[in-house]
Amino acid sequence: MSVALFFEANDELSAQALTLAQSLGEVRAFSFEGPYAPAAWASALIDAAGDDDIVGPGSERGNEVLAHVAAQLDLPFAANVTDVRGDEVTRQRWGGTLLEEARIHAPRKLLTAAPFAFAPSDSLLQAETLRPDVSGAVQVTEHIAPDTGGKVSLADAKVVVSGGRGVGSSEGFAILEELAALLDGAVGCSRVVTSAGWRPHTDQVGQTGTKVSPDLYIACGISGATQHIAGCKGAKKVLAINADPEATIFAHADYAVVGDLHEVVPAITAELKKVKG
Amino acid sequence: MAAALAVAGVLFAKRALFLWRLVRKAKPTERFDDIPGRVENEVTIVLGQKKLFQRLLPGVMHALIFWGFIVLLPTIVMALVGAVNRDWSFPWLGAQGWFMALVDVFILSVLTGIVMAVWIRKVVRPRRFDGSHLGEADLILALIALVVLTLLGWHASRIAAGMNEWPAGASFLSNWVSGAIPFPRVSERFFNWAHVLVILTFLVYLPYSKHLHIATAAINVFFSRTRNRGRLEPLRFDVPDDEMRLGVNTIEQLTWKEMVDSFSCTECGRCQDVCPAYNTGELQPIVGNGVPEEMVWDCVTCGACVHECPVSIEHIDHIVDLRRDLVMMQSSFPQEAESMLRDVERIGNPWGKPQGDRASWAEDLGVRVLEEGEEPPEILYWVGCAAAYDERARVAAESTVKLLQKAGVDFAILGARESCTGDPARRMGNEYVFQAYAEQNVATLNDARVTKIVASCPHCLNSLGKEYPDFGGQYEVMHHTQLLAELVRDGMLSPARGESEITYHDSCYLARHNDVRDEPRELVAAVGKPVEMPRNGKRTFCCGAGGAHMWMEERGTPINEERVREASETGAETLAVACPFCTVMLDDGVRSMGKQLRVVDVSTLLVESMED
Repeated sequence: MSVALFFEANDELSAQALTLAQSLGEVRAFSFEGPYAPAAWASALIDAAGDDDIVGPGSERGNEVLAHVAAQLDLPFAANVTDVRGDEVTRQRWGGTLLEEARIHAPRKLLTAAPFAFAPSDSLLQAETLRPDVSGAVQVTEHIAPDTGGKVSLADAKVVVSGGRGVGSSEGFAILEELAALLDGAVGCSRVVTSAGWRPHTDQVGQTGTKVSPDLYIACGISGATQHIAGCKGAKKVLAINADPEATIFAHADYAVVGDLHEVVPAITAELKKVKG
Repeated sequence: MAAALAVAGVLFAKRALFLWRLVRKAKPTERFDDIPGRVENEVTIVLGQKKLFQRLLPGVMHALIFWGFIVLLPTIVMALVGAVNRDWSFPWLGAQGWFMALVDVFILSVLTGIVMAVWIRKVVRPRRFDGSHLGEADLILALIALVVLTLLGWHASRIAAGMNEWPAGASFLSNWVSGAIPFPRVSERFFNWAHVLVILTFLVYLPYSKHLHIATAAINVFFSRTRNRGRLEPLRFDVPDDEMRLGVNTIEQLTWKEMVDSFSCTECGRCQDVCPAYNTGELQPIVGNGVPEEMVWDCVTCGACVHECPVSIEHIDHIVDLRRDLVMMQSSFPQEAESMLRDVERIGNPWGKPQGDRASWAEDLGVRVLEEGEEPPEILYWVGCAAAYDERARVAAESTVKLLQKAGVDFAILGARESCTGDPARRMGNEYVFQAYAEQNVATLNDARVTKIVASCPHCLNSLGKEYPDFGGQYEVMHHTQLLAELVRDGMLSPARGESEITYHDSCYLARHNDVRDEPRELVAAVGKPVEMPRNGKRTFCCGAGGAHMWMEERGTPINEERVREASETGAETLAVACPFCTVMLDDGVRSMGKQLRVVDVSTLLVESMED
């Protein structure tokens, strides 16, 4: 019994899918060249696979191509499978919060391997390259990254310097901007700040704003309401600067400075400049 | 006569049939329980005009016209037959002087009502009419005026022509007017026919106009909620696909009550007049608009409109049904609410905090955590996510626990076995997630053999008490202010009364949806000097967090600032609250407005009054 593998790339997820495929039979792997066109790739994969089971990685492309395969063959598809026993599978549902036992009622299996559910296979594999005709098919022609105006985006920044009511005005953010620039970071703010119109809503960190997960989150003059913490709880380290020693932000902070941010922030900036030379 | 009747009858019936078919096509809803309560509503709200009298001047105006027409109903029959046979008299009643005196009294009262209505509409011009069809209202008022004026002319002519079967002196008004009637016998015919034709015209116009409420309002009031006002009707997922209803996208998906709601609206605008979203500049007028998508999301489900509506339209049902369709069928909702929905669904609280930390606030307080298989306490304290995870909301839970311990109450919390009740997901329209939590929590509570629950959060209180019975959970549920007031009354707690002025903010889900208004006030009065805000009790103004708005961005002036402004105008130093979300919202409002008000839960005031 042989198995066709959608081999997306020489990456971790494809190597994990290979482990799953090898547990089902002898593997023939297929990789693709040319622009990404899921429906056209699926047709080519179907032609190449014959009557074999088809396995793919649990990546976005793997799941999308296999879904097209299933639709074109009118067969059931089990995505993000963690275990296969005959025609029974265990698969992840609801973003991985549930495991579901399911039986596949079909002459052949269409599966993707749940990410990190299988050890990556270390066997060397010769993948056959397919070059499907994508003319007329829906295809990805261009990737457009969001315009961040040349700055580090808030969601991706390794350092976020965030200001709250304590900053006092939109001009007050200049010292935060300076510190952020020095650390290749981004400037964030709390809801109070956007409500007051000091910063745009795109800068808001919190429950109803951007969720950030930087290595360092510097909270300046932020009291630390639950709604705000919900947006920065992914931070590895939190440095809180606040004049009020009772502020709740200190309960969430790894490092704390009780003091006026208008003095503390410029002092940090000055020290950093000294160190950086 | 027969022709006029036939034409009017056919035109009316055609439209009435069309409306009836719409109702027949609508989806089912259970509205036949609690008949005594429904009859009571019919008597107080329809006959007694209770909800209309919530606004004095328009209330009196409407009552004068409404009661007038009840009495004038027999005269319609008199006129219809009288048009064909001028010598006919309504048996017995037609000869009664007292009845004719009454008719004149009510002709006068209807005319007074119309003058008042014109004055309200043309001189006062309240903002609540923004968006309303004003021309249509003018036409209706003119028709009403014509109905009574032709009746007056007819009766006066009969007296002038000596055709009155009743003592002329009894009809003080008609008798007085009769002196001015020329050609009495001709006028009698003229006014009789004019009266009949105006009424028939009105009959035909009625079902096409917003005046249809004279036929549908009484029905709508009868079928409105009599109890469990905070309860949303659950969607059924266990029925065949063609019967399944996942919110409202097209008119056929309305329930029949929602359909009758839409027939009953008179565009009086009272709903928008009390609407927090409308009043802080977020909405186009509610009246006269379809419901734009952003309007669906601006609603805080505070229920002010439902409470205000004289014809008992239940606006929240419509809003939530629209949300259900947007969330469950179209996956289209404010992006910022996504993480709340995801965290409720996956982790069990709206902020995505670890479930294991749920009881950490109580660690040093010596609170019993009810473990599986243990004997249930007398009272289960349902903490709620806000008090469990939010530093400001937690203070109230700590205070409540201290007071229960002091009073020697046998209670426990569920700790990590408690999870979100599903309320924010339900109010956002995600019924799936709500029902999953309802079933899970009911299973936990039933396994633990819990019978009595005290909740700090009015939203939890509403779900546990009003909505969980639909999922097999029957508990006696009370708010912490109710239990604490009981303990004070019984002498188990003895607060000392201070001199500070305190204004109490009613939470919508407590005061309006669950009728808890007196107990928090008892407690406030026990610890300080109460001062009321203009909008209080049943007519309270939302803090801005209801209907899952805690997790959404707001457009326009923040609702919480509007409420803080009102509170600070009382001059009180303390703004007492009884809901964790009100606590956070109003405290934020006080801070952003730089006011010197202390926002604090009633339970904390009680603890402070008993210190030293």
